Amino acid sequence: MALATEESIRELPEMTPMGNPLDWSWLRGSKAEWGMKPTPGRRGLTMMDIATGAYGEVLDDPPYRSMAPRGADIDPETPDMGYILNHKSQVWADNVIELYEEAVARQWSSTRDIPWNELQELPPDIEHAMCQLCTVLTEIEMIATDLPAKWMWRMNHHFLEAKMFLSTQIMDEARHSDVFRKRALANGGGLLLSRSEPESLLRSILEAKTYTQASALLHLLGEGFILDVFRQGELIAPTHVEKKIFRLSMQDEARHVAYGTMHIRQAIAGDPDVADEIHEALDHGEQFLIEFGTSPVLSSALAVLLGGGSEHVEDKGFPMQSLLATKIFTSYLARCERAGLNRIDRTDLPLDLLGIDLDAFDRTGV
Amino acid sequence: MSERVDNLTFYQDLADLMNNNPDQYETLGEVDFTLGVVMADEVGSDLRLRLRFEELGCTDVSPLPEGGESSCDCWLEGDIDSWGEMFNDITTNGRATGRHTVNSLTLVGDRIDVRGDDPMGVDRFFRFNQTIQQFFDGAAELAPAPA
Repeated sequence: MALATEESIRELPEMTPMGNPLDWSWLRGSKAEWGMKPTPGRRGLTMMDIATGAYGEVLDDPPYRSMAPRGADIDPETPDMGYILNHKSQVWADNVIELYEEAVARQWSSTRDIPWNELQELPPDIEHAMCQLCTVLTEIEMIATDLPAKWMWRMNHHFLEAKMFLSTQIMDEARHSDVFRKRALANGGGLLLSRSEPESLLRSILEAKTYTQASALLHLLGEGFILDVFRQGELIAPTHVEKKIFRLSMQDEARHVAYGTMHIRQAIAGDPDVADEIHEALDHGEQFLIEFGTSPVLSSALAVLLGGGSEHVEDKGFPMQSLLATKIFTSYLARCERAGLNRIDRTDLPLDLLGIDLDAFDRTGV
Repeated sequence: MSERVDNLTFYQDLADLMNNNPDQYETLGEVDFTLGVVMADEVGSDLRLRLRFEELGCTDVSPLPEGGESSCDCWLEGDIDSWGEMFNDITTNGRATGRHTVNSLTLVGDRIDVRGDDPMGVDRFFRFNQTIQQFFDGAAELAPAPA
């Protein structure tokens, strides 16, 4: 498609009939990137497909701090929006565009996609334990909407795909709050106890001083833990209805963890000094997580579900809980390694008590 | 069913089933995932295969050499009896139940485990878990109808 000629533009009016000035310079197209015409793949036109030329060039230090779209001819007088996260390594992750497209493709509906009418009547202790677990989950999941929302308006719009991915996370977590609230009520039970233990962890995430500290606490530590709680939830789900709830939620959570792991890696690569501030945040966060993970309400509900009933909490529930705790923290430490963060030599987690043998530690975490 | 699970054609049949029914996978969304499967048997003739999932289908089912599973995002590893039990549960109940789902089996990890060289590859198993479960649940449709 040819650009408009200078001659044809000169023939156009300079003012509207109302007397307002007109600017026809856009008719000439945009510098060198006019006519890129990306080709859609079989699944359609993805953000990866259009990340070509200047459109796909994500700068370490973008020159502007406005909402002007990356790749456009930007007015040098474009205003400063007050962004404070203006360096790529402060928000970016190499997998973020892929994760955004994946999130869009794999959205689900708690209303439509869960076969609610196939729930079955359960023994009272199992129903109570499931309702208690759902009470905890519906309480804590909204942290992962509040936290990105707190920081997104401070992120330079040049890093659009990171903000788009975090928007999907906000939707995912709203859905998790929704689906666990629904499950607590849907089988004749209801919401049970909300105790104070989760709130310390949630507050530490919300009050983190930097986005990267917050991301380490939320994506790497908190959501990594919840990913494993969802895996446990699928294991102990009494029917296929709960299994589907936990599997679909697990998929969402794993995307958030994948972003966080690679974001922390990018943050440390961009500024190695950042590792210290992340360590500092995790030093505190891990203690809050232990407090939350061992809270009387959560651990007793999980023990009933893992044991298959309150009569088996001691012979089956607690031993299984202990086995899974080893897996959860091994996975977490391995993700930290992948993120470029050596927690093994620094953590105050009770590794012996958690059954983690440092000599045999597999840095792949599985 | 258990007599077929150590045969590559069984997995090709599962792939064909998925590829012929994209509507059943559309609501789950597209996939980009390479999963290895390692089935150990007592006489050492392990079955190793690669399952490549792209978009709404399984585009490749192929054998892997020993150690070839490292080329996959991650792999599921267990003895043939455990795989047979999993598929028997699927054919009996129409879908994996209880502790026979791939997530449950690999979470406990004593019979079938998920392994990988990179935690990011292993995390893909969780990111696409519902699709993978539905793929294996297809075994219920491949089972011969009861007499």
